[in-house]
Amino acid sequence: MIALLRGFLWLTGFWLAGESLVVLLDLPISAGVVGMLLLTIALLLRIGRLEDIAAASQPLIGLLAMLIMPGVVGVFFVADEFAGQWLAVAVALVGGTLASVLTTLLLMRRCMPAAPRTETPQETSS
Amino acid sequence: MSAALIELREALLSSPLSAIGLTLAGYLMALWLVERLGRPSWCPAVLLAALLVAASLWGLSIDVADYQRGADWLMLLLGPATVALGVPLYQQLHHIRALWKPLALSLPPAAALACCYSVALAWALGASPEVMASLAPKSVTAPIALGIIEALHGSVPLLMGGLLITGVMATLAVSLLAAPLGIRDHRILGFTLGVNGHAIGTVRAFEISPTAGAFASLGMSLTGILTALCLPLAWQLLGL
Repeated sequence: MIALLRGFLWLTGFWLAGESLVVLLDLPISAGVVGMLLLTIALLLRIGRLEDIAAASQPLIGLLAMLIMPGVVGVFFVADEFAGQWLAVAVALVGGTLASVLTTLLLMRRCMPAAPRTETPQETSS
Repeated sequence: MSAALIELREALLSSPLSAIGLTLAGYLMALWLVERLGRPSWCPAVLLAALLVAASLWGLSIDVADYQRGADWLMLLLGPATVALGVPLYQQLHHIRALWKPLALSLPPAAALACCYSVALAWALGASPEVMASLAPKSVTAPIALGIIEALHGSVPLLMGGLLITGVMATLAVSLLAAPLGIRDHRILGFTLGVNGHAIGTVRAFEISPTAGAFASLGMSLTGILTALCLPLAWQLLGL
């Protein structure tokens, strides 16, 4: 439990550091993304205990779906606001996603080297 | 309704805990229902949970703005939760080191096109700038997309709806298109699911195999970071 609190303090600290950078440098990015990059860099430099940070990160990441859910609720109350644009929205989402999935698959098929079969067992660790 | 009951309703609604309770109850009930339905990929638990909450707000005639004000206390946790995504990113860095060349070649165009196709289609069909701004980050994982939408001045509810549909569509598209294209490499399937279908695609990828899941979360984080760094700048340059 204490490890979780220590980890949560690290996460909050990195968010605050991200927010400071965003405000000071007037960046058009969210504090969370800057904090995430700072955390990755810190872990690479072996700053902060990975066990503590992971203890707080895993439950939070597991809760992400619930944390964004209140934002989704609003979509059922904006029908009038975007009246007349729903066809454009639907075509853009469905057509755009089909097209981008097709492009990504073709791009990756071109760029990715053939999978060495020996690589497979060690992959299971992640 | 008697005066005492009206007073009680006011008192309960003035506390953010009623919105938080409603959110938790809706989410847990949706999880239970989705489990009973056999986890269909076309219906993520978040969508069902949001429907349940929306229906209860409507049934209890609670203003959605009041609910959102209370739920903001819960969404405050999105900040540290976004930072937390750095941990899986750090753990997946060995994939980037091993495959940096194909990833560097395919990620930027894939992430850029995921955004451009939709914005172009919406523009061609005469959507307003606000709608285009709300659809642009549709392939980005929700916590990062919420940060992007502030810079683009888009609509949060529209973005959230778009994210859900995109995730479900990307999952369907990958299962439809992979076989005809002869793609069986789990790394490619996972990466495509993560780049296009963010968290919903990543969940599907973990069902395929751990390798697909690892590449999906890698694709999801890299797309999120790249889009968060480039899209607000591109939007300013285009003068939208």
